[in-house]
Amino acid sequence: MAEPRVLIVGAGLAGLAAAVGLARAGFASLVVDQARAPGGAIHRQPLPGVAAHGLPAQRRRWQNLRAEVTAEGDRIEILCNHRFAGIDADGVALLTGERSRFIRPAAVILATGATERVVPVPGWTLPGVTTVGAIQTQLKTTGEPPAGRVLLAGSGPLLCAAAAELAAAGNPPVAIVEAGRPFRHAADALALPAGYLAEASAHLARLLLARVPIRCGMHLSRIDRHGDTLVARAEGGGRHLDFAVDRIGLHDGIRPNGYGAAGTTVPVALAGDAREALGARAALEDGRRAGAALAARLAGRPVPPDMSPALERERAAQQRLRRIHAHDLGARLVAIGDDTVLCRCENRTAGDLRALGGDPTDRELRLRGRFAMGRCQGRFCGEWVRRLQGDDPADAPLGAVRLPVRPLPLADLIDAGEPDEEN
Amino acid sequence: MSGAILWNGAPVAFRAGESVASALARAGIRALGDLPTGQEAAVFCGIGQCQGCLVSLDGRLVEACLTPCRDGLRVASAGAGNG
Repeated sequence: MAEPRVLIVGAGLAGLAAAVGLARAGFASLVVDQARAPGGAIHRQPLPGVAAHGLPAQRRRWQNLRAEVTAEGDRIEILCNHRFAGIDADGVALLTGERSRFIRPAAVILATGATERVVPVPGWTLPGVTTVGAIQTQLKTTGEPPAGRVLLAGSGPLLCAAAAELAAAGNPPVAIVEAGRPFRHAADALALPAGYLAEASAHLARLLLARVPIRCGMHLSRIDRHGDTLVARAEGGGRHLDFAVDRIGLHDGIRPNGYGAAGTTVPVALAGDAREALGARAALEDGRRAGAALAARLAGRPVPPDMSPALERERAAQQRLRRIHAHDLGARLVAIGDDTVLCRCENRTAGDLRALGGDPTDRELRLRGRFAMGRCQGRFCGEWVRRLQGDDPADAPLGAVRLPVRPLPLADLIDAGEPDEEN
Repeated sequence: MSGAILWNGAPVAFRAGESVASALARAGIRALGDLPTGQEAAVFCGIGQCQGCLVSLDGRLVEACLTPCRDGLRVASAGAGNG
């Protein structure tokens, strides 16, 4: 049997950088990714015949990393179209896909990126309402923007970036609804690193040219369906606007998607946005760090620190971006109507949460309230349940991650065979 | 286009390599059926995290956003009570 390899989940910037870090220290790895090609969310690869997306510097960053991976030869194996279902207490991990299998990795690095935060609003479960990331995924893959009228709403720099990409693809959004007032924070904005400023000004120039209105200080208060049309109401500053559209993209920032690190016997580490949502620039750096740190741990050498000056700079930049986009989310959450769905998986509302009475325990939130018990394990409701409860910190998970980390047809389990048939 | 999948029996064209969700979106199909909770199945996150776009493929529930198209692939609404 071959020596156990490190299992890396996610072949984006962080995952591949970690694989290179491990390989340079002499450790082989298997990198699995659910997509059909490496790239992750940022460098999601276009279909054959579709032009590459992104700025030239971003494309160079990815090509350089791919070259580093290739240079390591068979120390790095990339397995696409396969998914990680979790690792159990005995150190057995399950991968599903065309060749489902159990493996015993030497260690695991979760480089599973970020989850988009979306503030719940009545109607956010309607077909046609997606995350902004879902719209970007379609655009990056097919080169085609969604057909019809598109509205982007929420908060954060991604709204303008995605709107600019839609404009460049020939279908600018009818408007951007931004809860913050970023243009009132010029001093903070000018103190951002040069790369951030260059990107933001390129996006804003495109939005000006395409005449995309940016409605600052407003947020969606509800979405209704009239026939095939979605009608979104934006409120703020004592006024309201209605938008009749075909697609709505929602986005209120990102949070780590570090699911799957339940207790096991082998070392498990997080890398990139899955560890701390600091964005693409940090993901590459943090992947290298995670790979080198795990190699040191496996070799019994002193483990290097988990922050670096470069990561500190990215963290400061992200904090600055949050200040620039600051808005009173707390007041909006407190005012969420009882009929607003919080848990999309099991259709549990703010009213269901309030009906649990004062100060329910996490166990009561889960077992009586059914929050975080659905198929997504609380990725999309956990923070809002916490915030409505007044819990601090709001990002603490509502209980442990359950295996499998995503729903699994029994057939996948049967296809995988026995845990020790193959490594 | 490199072929067609069958969505609830009706052909939907797709481009080589794209997901079921992507082909359905181009065809203007946003509502993917009813989930047991009473919600409609539909793409939300687009990257396999929310499980909102579950559809039936040979009796297996799969995420439309992660399932690659193949010519003649039969995909159907998951349907109430099938989850």
